[in-house]
Amino acid sequence: MNLTYNQVFKDPEISKALVARIREKNTRPLRLMEVCGTHTMAIFRYGIRSVLPETITLLSGPGCPVCVIAQKDIDAYVMLARRPDVILTTFGDLMKVPGSVSSLAGEKAKGADVRMVYSIFDALAIAKENPDKAVVFCAVGFETTIPTIAGAVLTAQTQGIDNFSIYSANKLTPPALAALMKTAGVEIDGFILPGHVAVITGLDAFYPIFEKYRIPSVVTGFEPMDILNAVLKLVEQNESKIPRLVNAYPRAVADAGNPKARAIMDQVFETADALWRGIGHIPDSGMVLRESFYKFDAAKKFELSMPDTREPAGCDCGRILMGLKRPDQCRLYKKNCTPMHPVGPCMVSSEGACAAFYKYSG
Amino acid sequence: MNKKDTILLDHGAGGKVSHAMFSELILPLFDNELLAKQNDGAVFEVPPGRMAFSTDSYTVDPLFFPGGDIGELAVNGTVNDVAMCGAIPLYISVGLIIEEGMQVVDLKRILQSMARAAQKADVRIVTGDTKVVPRGKVDKIFINTSGIGSIPTGVHVSGDGAQPGDKVIVSGTIADHGVTILSEREGLKFDSDVKSDSAPLNHMVKGMLESGYPVHVLRDPTRGGLGTTLNEIAGQSTVGIRLFEDRLPVRGPVRGICELLGFDPLYLANEGKLIAIVPGADADNVLDIIRRDAFGKDAVIIGEVTEQDPGRVVLETFIGGTRIVEMLTGEQLPRIC
Ligand code: SF4
Repeated sequence: MNLTYNQVFKDPEISKALVARIREKNTRPLRLMEVCGTHTMAIFRYGIRSVLPETITLLSGPGCPVCVIAQKDIDAYVMLARRPDVILTTFGDLMKVPGSVSSLAGEKAKGADVRMVYSIFDALAIAKENPDKAVVFCAVGFETTIPTIAGAVLTAQTQGIDNFSIYSANKLTPPALAALMKTAGVEIDGFILPGHVAVITGLDAFYPIFEKYRIPSVVTGFEPMDILNAVLKLVEQNESKIPRLVNAYPRAVADAGNPKARAIMDQVFETADALWRGIGHIPDSGMVLRESFYKFDAAKKFELSMPDTREPAGCDCGRILMGLKRPDQCRLYKKNCTPMHPVGPCMVSSEGACAAFYKYSG
Repeated sequence: MNKKDTILLDHGAGGKVSHAMFSELILPLFDNELLAKQNDGAVFEVPPGRMAFSTDSYTVDPLFFPGGDIGELAVNGTVNDVAMCGAIPLYISVGLIIEEGMQVVDLKRILQSMARAAQKADVRIVTGDTKVVPRGKVDKIFINTSGIGSIPTGVHVSGDGAQPGDKVIVSGTIADHGVTILSEREGLKFDSDVKSDSAPLNHMVKGMLESGYPVHVLRDPTRGGLGTTLNEIAGQSTVGIRLFEDRLPVRGPVRGICELLGFDPLYLANEGKLIAIVPGADADNVLDIIRRDAFGKDAVIIGEVTEQDPGRVVLETFIGGTRIVEMLTGEQLPRIC
């Protein structure tokens, strides 16, 4: 781990210079959306809003996989957790997200075998160690994590780990942005696009949306300097009225992305309609297992077909993720909904807009 | 007792077997005349003035971890809690609740490290109790320790004592213990030398108190970390606390693991660090005293007490931005991507 390198991107002098440039160039109110939850976290954590001019509003977008997970997917996980023949494995963030009746943390407290893992390969190891149990992995991710999930499914296939399966709530970023742009009332003057997604998809995946809507778009990394640099570029584009799609993260992102990772992803998954929390169904925005991998599909294995469910009454996650509302404008915020007792997923994930707002704005 | 033995329910039943365990295992290790009397409680003289009394229970998984174990933690933890009251810790009690089937070697190792920790901290373990419960009723071993100490005359240390203009000192790097336990517990193999910072802080505290410089607040930021403890102080004292991110001491590998897993070092536990809040004019002198202690070499001033933002902790970030440091709510969960 090279820390001095990371430290460079936190350099106070360079950051201050960037802020000064932003203030100098910016003349009009701008609404910029950071699409990804990791950006949201970094923005709060480094106090980036507090150094920007008041004219610039940063909005948190639909790029936190836990925040956009549909209630019915949580319900499916809860149903799986309740089966005595299942060991359910999941990333930690998902544990506290409330479904219609319960959460995974709630099921675990009642005795269900729910295990937190850091990598899907840990889940695969658990499957090997427990041949008499069905080990299911809650696959919740974007382009950043889907190739690894695909890799694990391929490993399960070659090694014959048949007691392993996944329940996919995987999603793709570009279709969500397209859906967002089509939604009435959405006003966005620029996108701060997620660097780690672009590492896989490349810049190319964002071209169609850019071409269609001519919206200033900058792919960037997660250090304070990366984010400030992206804001500066978006300000410049707005001032000059010449929108561009820019790669401001060339140290990690190639224009063509990572074709190998995409090939693995395509070998295992195909696109499908997916339900996004608060946003609704978006065609071709989900990633489900291809037919040749059905035996690793928990939805097929356990014949789960979940009806769409109603989302928690009063929760504004969907509108917040589209930049139509701020977390503190949700009437449940801080009253009925806190990180201790979250109502919606945006309050659960550390990358969720409501949780970040709660944690860092007091 | 044989090394290969396991602990049985009999060991806690109060009969012959219990007795043997006490006289063969416990007494020789915690060797002191007060314990040797084997009365129902310890009887001792107390110095005149005020006393401090504190208790805590320890349930850590895993029992042994890089830089310490549950035994050392249990002694240091209570020693530190007493010291944070501005007291000189004197006597400690130990209550053991052991799961049937525990290996005697493990128990012995824990008791040995308790004895060593007590010696290092210069406190005596003078009374105790052992219970053995059926399998599954506790997780291997739970330890409760209580401690009592005397407060030197003229010392008034309390969480509500912070005043605007005071400086905030931390006695060394933060989050070491928290990161160590998390990595061990989750079986994360990092190629780094993170280890728990478990240490007694009473000598450091004694040095500060004897120096005569006024110390307004002392706290050890254990569970909940620096962020939570400072919030408590800001609330108790109705003052604001302003921290400077670039001054927070976090060891490189600890910062790396935190960034990787999405943990905030401000909320991770410390077991051998203290926060001292002292008048601004005396801060540099107190800092020197802390740095002279074996466990205070990396001490730094990390912030100041303000009139603004009462009850709040505000962090000035690397880039000159500000953000609120809230109290920790619930457990930190590793993030998804
Ligand atoms: S505050 Fe809670 S209820 Fe409101 S939008 Fe956020 S998560 Fe949903």
